[in-house]
Amino acid sequence: MREHSKDEILELIWTREEEGERTEAGLLESSQEENTEELIEELIHDGLVERKGENIVLTPSGHERAERVIRRHRLAECLLSNLFDLEDDHIESSACKFEHILSDRVTESVCTFLGHPPFCPHGKPIPRGECCRKFTTHVVPLVIRLSDAELGGEYRIVFIIPKQKKRLERLSAMGLIPGVVVRLIQKNPSYVIQLGETMIAVDRGIADEIYVKRV
Amino acid sequence: MECHAGKDTVAAEKVDEKLIFVGTPNVGKSVIFGFVTGRYVTVSNYPGTTVEVTKGVGKIGGRTVQIIDTPGINTLTPMSEDERVTRDILLEEEGYRVFQVCDAKNLERSLPITFQLIELGVEFGVILNMSDEAERHGIQVDEEKLSRILGLPVIKTVAVRRKGFDKIPALLSEARSGSFRVDYGDYIEDAVEKVGRILESRGYARSKRGLALMILSGDTTLREWLKENFSPEEIEEMEKVRSELERLVGVPVSYHINNARHRSAARIGMEVKRIVPRKKHSFLDHFGRLSMHPIWGVPIMLGVLYVAYLFVGKFGAGTMVDLLEGKLFGEWVNPFFVKLFENYVPIPIVRDFFVGDYGIITMALTYSLAIIFPIVGTFFIGFGIMEDSGYLPRLAVMVDRIFKKIGCNGKAVLPLILGLGCDTMATLTTRILETTKERIIVTLLLALGIPCSAQLGVVLGMLATLGPVATALWIAVVCGIILAVGYLASLIVKGEEVDFIMEIPPMRVPEFRNILVKTLARIEWYLKEAVPLFILGTVVLFVADRTGLLQVIDRVSAPVIVTLLDLPPKTAEAFIIGFLRRDYGAAGLYAMQKAGLLDPTQVLVSLTTITLFIPCIANLFVIIKERGMKIALAMMAFIFPFALAVGTAMNKIIRLLGVSF
Repeated sequence: MREHSKDEILELIWTREEEGERTEAGLLESSQEENTEELIEELIHDGLVERKGENIVLTPSGHERAERVIRRHRLAECLLSNLFDLEDDHIESSACKFEHILSDRVTESVCTFLGHPPFCPHGKPIPRGECCRKFTTHVVPLVIRLSDAELGGEYRIVFIIPKQKKRLERLSAMGLIPGVVVRLIQKNPSYVIQLGETMIAVDRGIADEIYVKRV
Repeated sequence: MECHAGKDTVAAEKVDEKLIFVGTPNVGKSVIFGFVTGRYVTVSNYPGTTVEVTKGVGKIGGRTVQIIDTPGINTLTPMSEDERVTRDILLEEEGYRVFQVCDAKNLERSLPITFQLIELGVEFGVILNMSDEAERHGIQVDEEKLSRILGLPVIKTVAVRRKGFDKIPALLSEARSGSFRVDYGDYIEDAVEKVGRILESRGYARSKRGLALMILSGDTTLREWLKENFSPEEIEEMEKVRSELERLVGVPVSYHINNARHRSAARIGMEVKRIVPRKKHSFLDHFGRLSMHPIWGVPIMLGVLYVAYLFVGKFGAGTMVDLLEGKLFGEWVNPFFVKLFENYVPIPIVRDFFVGDYGIITMALTYSLAIIFPIVGTFFIGFGIMEDSGYLPRLAVMVDRIFKKIGCNGKAVLPLILGLGCDTMATLTTRILETTKERIIVTLLLALGIPCSAQLGVVLGMLATLGPVATALWIAVVCGIILAVGYLASLIVKGEEVDFIMEIPPMRVPEFRNILVKTLARIEWYLKEAVPLFILGTVVLFVADRTGLLQVIDRVSAPVIVTLLDLPPKTAEAFIIGFLRRDYGAAGLYAMQKAGLLDPTQVLVSLTTITLFIPCIANLFVIIKERGMKIALAMMAFIFPFALAVGTAMNKIIRLLGVSF
């Protein structure tokens, strides 16, 4: 738990720095940890933060660790809000738990899955990870909307998030269900999908709700 | 070959067996049905034309069989009117067998229906149709293996070439309830068990699994049926099981069930399909792709419409009408009857009634047979070709975005195009649209701005004499009004957003015989509906003329016609007659133009007004029937002054600007 608390302090320092606040007094005031003063001393001892006059700032290694925590937290927020449409307070409390338990490997998968989002739902920047740097060269997001898919590419439907339940039934009656492989034939003037030997035309609203993964 | 047509001879005989045809849309079900019964049903490429259920009697293997052809469906848990009709037939009829017709190259789409039929305990056989097309696409289905897996008899056919039809008698005698079982997982299976017990206690032992799954899907269309056959406590009990299940599985139960069926279908498909070398993409495949292309699709669309115009407007309304009206009726039929009546009928009023200015032969029959018949005939041939070739759904893809602006989706282009043939028929086909909002908007646009082929023929003929500027102006005004009114209507008419989900059938070379038979059926329908109204219209005119009523109407409407539209008073007749048949009114204007009573501006103004004017009486009846009296009256109350207002505005502007044609 000690490490979790340290992470919380590092995270707080990071977000306060984003707002241009660095004072120790301010930090003590806004921290929700019980023994903040003690934790700060320990962090100084670990070489993660240092005291500069009135201010507490991150050292290079502290910066690195804080960056990872922030990244996990904000990616978790994206996952919870984009995919599960949870309300804000749920997102915040769950994201706080996620930031401590996600391994680097899982974090990369989540990041890739979400298409390497640059900002969290609140508009704050998500620190880039190794996977994002690769992404700019050769890795593509795992799951994308069918409307963003490439023409002629083969994609497996991963999930469908319809605004109306009725749509799910209609699509599934035509065989458009998670697991099937489709090919995107055209995007304009309507989206045309090839599913086996069936060709189905849908409008953009529906193509937006079908999430696919490249085969 | 033992199954052959014999509808008339066997109709009185005892029926040995009842057979129902079931299948997805566009699988050639109707062709097989037509072959077995000898009676033809409309075959087409877009969902919805076979809304009417067709029955027939035929001989299969020496047995007299009563056969019902049902609308094409994707599932027996209805999501459209068609699917509901088919499901209801299966629930209501008793002691029947079923032929399920499948598209061999698209087996996975048909199998979910197979599973549903098995679950309903129906005795049936499977027909894999279009097996030639499947092989061209590189797919061969092992029908024996499929038969073993399903526990059902399976045959392969090529309906348009009558291949494999010799196996139909055996299929009927071997029909049985299949043995394949879809596993829906513990939650659903438990619920099926519970609901099944209630169903069984009410005598639905054989079909309990299928019925239970329908009930658990939350199929609201079953409510009536449940109320009729079960006590309120039983219904409540079943509803409890259903809501408990929905809570357990999270997503809609029907979605879960559909998923399980499609997964099983995909597995079976993999087992029974063999991939054979695929023939190269044919020209038709390429053309099909290009016709939906954002750029190439536009010239193709314009090209198709232009060819259709050449065929219907030039050949039908020009060459054929000249031949029939000018030569056949003008030089032979009418002079013959005029002479006949002059020689043998001494009473002038009777003579005029038949061969006078408003005579039944000289006016009603001449108009309906010599002018309308060739135009409508060529239109239906053209429409049939577009339908059977698979072009129409592609047209829907092209126009979807524009139609979204007027509160509809691309599918609405089908009734609108059909409206260029006959607005009455088109108003009936608005049923293929899913929401009431779309149906109301399309019905209004049909009634307001879409001229039917007969009217269009006359209108284009008259515009041709005015030159391209006037024609372009007429097209621009009518199209602009359709879009503007459609847009406004989409704001006023309440209703939900409409999804565009449409299956695109492959491009096919239409079969000549199908088009011919279909066109004949449509013309027969048209003449039966049109000729009596033409005669009625002529009689009304004749009486109005004799009693002086016509002159009264001319006088009463003169202020409007003369001051606002600057037209001669006699034009009022054309507008009023236009209510009996739209084209009849236009034909009246045509006669006036020929007689030199209208100048070019007057021609243009009168044509625009009559194009927008209230629809014909038959169309009005259908609007009342389909949309209800209130909406029908509201539409008329809007159209009547609106058409006059547009005509007036057009007239005043043209005269103000001093444009001449």
